[in-house]
Amino acid sequence: MTAGTQPDQPDAPPGWSNNPSSWAQRLPIVGLAMVGFAVASSLALYQWRIVPSVWEPFFGEGSRVVLNSGVSRVLPIPDAALGALSYLLDAITGAVGGTRRWRSMPWIVVLFGLAVGPLGVVSVLLVILQPVVYGAWCTLCLVSASISLLMIGPALDEFLASLQELRRVHDRGGSLWRAFWGLEDQAREHKEEGEHASWRS
Amino acid sequence: MALLTGAWAQLATAAAGLWLMAAPTVLGYGGFAQSVDRMVGPIAVSVGVVAASGVVRGVRWLGLALGLALLIIPWPAGYGTIPLVNSLITGGVVVVLAFVRGAVKDRYGGGWSALVQKLLP
Repeated sequence: MTAGTQPDQPDAPPGWSNNPSSWAQRLPIVGLAMVGFAVASSLALYQWRIVPSVWEPFFGEGSRVVLNSGVSRVLPIPDAALGALSYLLDAITGAVGGTRRWRSMPWIVVLFGLAVGPLGVVSVLLVILQPVVYGAWCTLCLVSASISLLMIGPALDEFLASLQELRRVHDRGGSLWRAFWGLEDQAREHKEEGEHASWRS
Repeated sequence: MALLTGAWAQLATAAAGLWLMAAPTVLGYGGFAQSVDRMVGPIAVSVGVVAASGVVRGVRWLGLALGLALLIIPWPAGYGTIPLVNSLITGGVVVVLAFVRGAVKDRYGGGWSALVQKLLP
């Protein structure tokens, strides 16, 4: 790498000013996902009646109306439990892998992006349903939706870095399948190490 | 992480969305206008918050569609005066904000268009 080029971000993708897989970028998302998991879990505990009441400081009976609504019970498990599982998937896929995972593990980055994106969309749709269909708001549901929303943009930069890497592999005739599982990267690393060694000798 | 540098217009879009969610209660109107504002509001919040990230700043253009909806829907729907004025003002603001890109300090290796551009001969 040329002297003076991104000295603080050695693992940044080509043409990027930051490394989207650095812990400084990922830890806040993982933290948000864990807070989301806690919030959604508490709502699920109420929906299962493991706890008898739900915290609702602003909207009176709102939380109770929303959390006991028909839509929340369309599936075999309460919708908040499903939300909690989604947050867990976000946290795990956000945490797995090192700071080069945008190219060493595209599969986990793509899974991470797919987990964060649709969850956010579903959250927003549920927020829309609350007042329009049930005429009620639910404070912790709004908190959960906000958390989902905050994760989307920050998760997408790493998603983009992995897609660009797959594109590069494709352009130089490599196997997309192997690149997706990080095998092309391993092979290239191995080759580069060999080249460095030969330059030095 | 969220790179909010220069994202004031996107955050303002999100604020406009929050206002739309609250407006029916604050200004005291119901009916169809209430439903529209309570649907467009959360979507505008989402567009603003997501587009605040530099890597997906282009998402702000969805605000153009939302703003235009707020400007157009009141006329055939026959809004009352208060929701009408609110819809037109908020809609106008959201439309203008969609055009404000703002600064994006970071570089993303050609962004999303890099994924398709090289496909062209």
